[in-house]
Amino acid sequence: MRKAAVAILLAPLAAHATLLGGRPVDVSLDGHRGDWLFDVTTISVTILFLIMVAIMLGAVLFHREKPDDQRKFGEHDHGTSRSHLLFTAFISLTIFFGVDGVLLASSYNSLHEAFWNYPTAAANTVEVEVMAQQWGWNFRYSGPDHKFGTADDVVRFNELAIPKDAPVTVKLRSKDVIHSFYLPNFRTKQDAIPGYTTKLWFQATETGNYEIGCAQHCGVNHYRMRGELHIKERHDFDEWLTEATADSARRYDPNDKEAQWGWDWES
Amino acid sequence: MSDAHASHDDSIHPEPTSFLRKYVFSTDHKVIAKQFIWLGLAFLAVGGTMAMMIRWQLAHTGEPFPVIGHAIFSNSAGIISPAAYTSLFTMHGTIMIFFAITPIMIGGFGNFCIPLMIGARDMVFPKLNMFSFWMMFISSAILVASFFMPMGAAAAGWTTYPTLSTVMGTPGWGQTLWVVSIYFAGGSTVMGAVNYITTVIVLRAPGMGYFKMPLTVWGLWLTAILNALFVPVLAAGMILLFLDRVVGTHFFLAGALVKSGGDPILYQHLFWIFGHPEVYILILPGWGVVSDLLSFFSRKPAYGYKVTALAMSAVCVLSAVVYGHHMFTTGLSPLLGQGFMLLTMFISVPAEIFFLNWLHTLWKGKIRLTVPMLFSLGLVFVFGLGGLTGLYLATISTDLYLHDTYFVVGHFHLTMAAAVFLGAFASIYFWFPKMFGKMMNSTLGKLHFWFSFVPINFVFCGMLYVGFGGMQRRLYNPSIYQTFQHLESVNKFISYSAFVMAFGGIFFIINFFYSLAKGEKAPSNPWEVGTLEWTHTTSPPQHHNFDVIPTVLHGPHEFNHPHLTDKDWLGQAEVLPALGAQEAK
Repeated sequence: MRKAAVAILLAPLAAHATLLGGRPVDVSLDGHRGDWLFDVTTISVTILFLIMVAIMLGAVLFHREKPDDQRKFGEHDHGTSRSHLLFTAFISLTIFFGVDGVLLASSYNSLHEAFWNYPTAAANTVEVEVMAQQWGWNFRYSGPDHKFGTADDVVRFNELAIPKDAPVTVKLRSKDVIHSFYLPNFRTKQDAIPGYTTKLWFQATETGNYEIGCAQHCGVNHYRMRGELHIKERHDFDEWLTEATADSARRYDPNDKEAQWGWDWES
Repeated sequence: MSDAHASHDDSIHPEPTSFLRKYVFSTDHKVIAKQFIWLGLAFLAVGGTMAMMIRWQLAHTGEPFPVIGHAIFSNSAGIISPAAYTSLFTMHGTIMIFFAITPIMIGGFGNFCIPLMIGARDMVFPKLNMFSFWMMFISSAILVASFFMPMGAAAAGWTTYPTLSTVMGTPGWGQTLWVVSIYFAGGSTVMGAVNYITTVIVLRAPGMGYFKMPLTVWGLWLTAILNALFVPVLAAGMILLFLDRVVGTHFFLAGALVKSGGDPILYQHLFWIFGHPEVYILILPGWGVVSDLLSFFSRKPAYGYKVTALAMSAVCVLSAVVYGHHMFTTGLSPLLGQGFMLLTMFISVPAEIFFLNWLHTLWKGKIRLTVPMLFSLGLVFVFGLGGLTGLYLATISTDLYLHDTYFVVGHFHLTMAAAVFLGAFASIYFWFPKMFGKMMNSTLGKLHFWFSFVPINFVFCGMLYVGFGGMQRRLYNPSIYQTFQHLESVNKFISYSAFVMAFGGIFFIINFFYSLAKGEKAPSNPWEVGTLEWTHTTSPPQHHNFDVIPTVLHGPHEFNHPHLTDKDWLGQAEVLPALGAQEAK
């Protein structure tokens, strides 16, 4: 009996575990916080849902009207007694504090410890300006002078390289419509909105090549607004940045005003 | 509560004789209800076909849509182009929300049920009621016209965020007509809302206190209140968007391409102040109907009736203060973000309360698995799933990943598509005998149920899974991304399930028209329940509904009353045998 009960309780866990493969690999410092909470939520709601279905199924199976008891009356209970009301209130509040409460507390923690806790300008922090447009991502590094919006900025299109194990702060603007800078492997996203500067920070824990998506419908080619994210070891990144700096310098055209979309980082 | 009304208008107006006044420009709430339902069912077929096209594209990218593809996508040999795809998902959402659910549940059953269930001869403003339908008709004509505009129909998504929805992102008259059409649909809805609210307040039969109203009326009434409060906000957004598109104002325009900018986020506030109550607007009638039907077919009083009514009212109040959870990724201030997260979580309390009441109503009942009961149970099941998956999206740290993915699509379809349509079908199967005086076929009804219920769960749970995999919404071709390639088989599974569900709709269409023509004649109270539309008028009701306005004595769910001996139900206006002498005084 007890074994059966344990098996029934563990079944949703097992089912969930086999389905975990659906989620893209997490290569971020803080993505596990969202994943953990997702799994906690899944276990909680699966249990609640199974209880609900069990009651419904039980009622339908065992409390069906039988043809011969048409004349026999059932219950005339309106569920208005004090004990009934207290029972309903007790269950609802238990679920609220037991499930919603845990989610709230954990989310507050994650937000203040990680997602909204922006890194201070430490030496190894990488800062990138992003200008979203229909349909692609423009990236800008501050270049050798560490100042954005200057002639020595490093600019790339649809290609963002970052070092592993260093915080990356991204500031976003949009040229035309609303886009959303989405990193599936980092479990986060941030809208890029015309007229606004928004920001996002993340940190990679693995090297490799990943994808940047646009999550906000931005027109006909929304589905093709895909950028590439290259996570490199620090020395590989420094090497790449040197090359990219030279490349940007070669292509710099002072008369091309549209290409000079960078802005002062603090503004 | 309130009792007999001095102002109660119970005069009987003669039935109109001309065809035009009787069937076209009718002021009879029962005729207007049918007009709304016909309109809604027609658009349900259109919106459903669009859903199939979207699913076809996601399962068979780049292959021509079968049978009607060549006629519809004639410029691309039957293949759905990226531009056509953006119009498809935009118009699918628009049509389903504003032109299928709203007319069927609110225009149709709101109109049909409210006067009959509260014991009134008609709506309090019959002419306004007629204008409400014809405004909806004009609005839908404008929407249909938008498909034939040179640059095609609207394509900015049903949420129509600027700046994409301004001429900068979607030039052409299709998008402009969309804005006009939604404005008129809103006008129609508000006219209906004013009428419903007032009718419930002033035309309840003597003795019909607020807490003697069937929960169906409660749901429809609360929906009407939300509509009257929040649709005007949408209308304001639409006016500003129209000015931006046509006059050249910059309310919502900003960015590098504009000199003097407005604020695109202002639109999102306006839209979601309306948009979040809107999801409750769509589901409240269904909640109300199911609260009644679960009791009717469990042959047991609705458990905690008053608490259910109050819990639904509490949801309405909360629905006005949670909309910010649609904007968690816009860079909303952390203070607002946390506030909205907490407020959103509060909604789960009243929702759990009436869910518990539903389960308690079922338990120890004597359940009759009729077709409307099956659909009601289906609603409880899918709304359970839809409600619970809302938790992931209310929590900011999980929403950062799930926002704008298919997880959201699966979640809101479970609540406002699956649950609402199962509720709509429960209502149709339940009130069809009263509406048309004919019974529907229950075998075809059960086939329709199983062909809807099983695939609808596969479809939307499949979407939850794809969203868990990270796939964004509104992608014409997800395989552009390496990250989502392993989800292709799941996407195919979702699509095939959707096709099976669409096939199941055929059972409904056959049943509906066959029953209209050849259905068995309905008795006045086939379901053996006690609400006024079944106990005090014929099927279908005569023009003035009730010969004598009944005096209400009991609540709507008085099953197994100890004073009854011959039947298990008690009419709301029925004098109890044992207490007859006493009550007659």
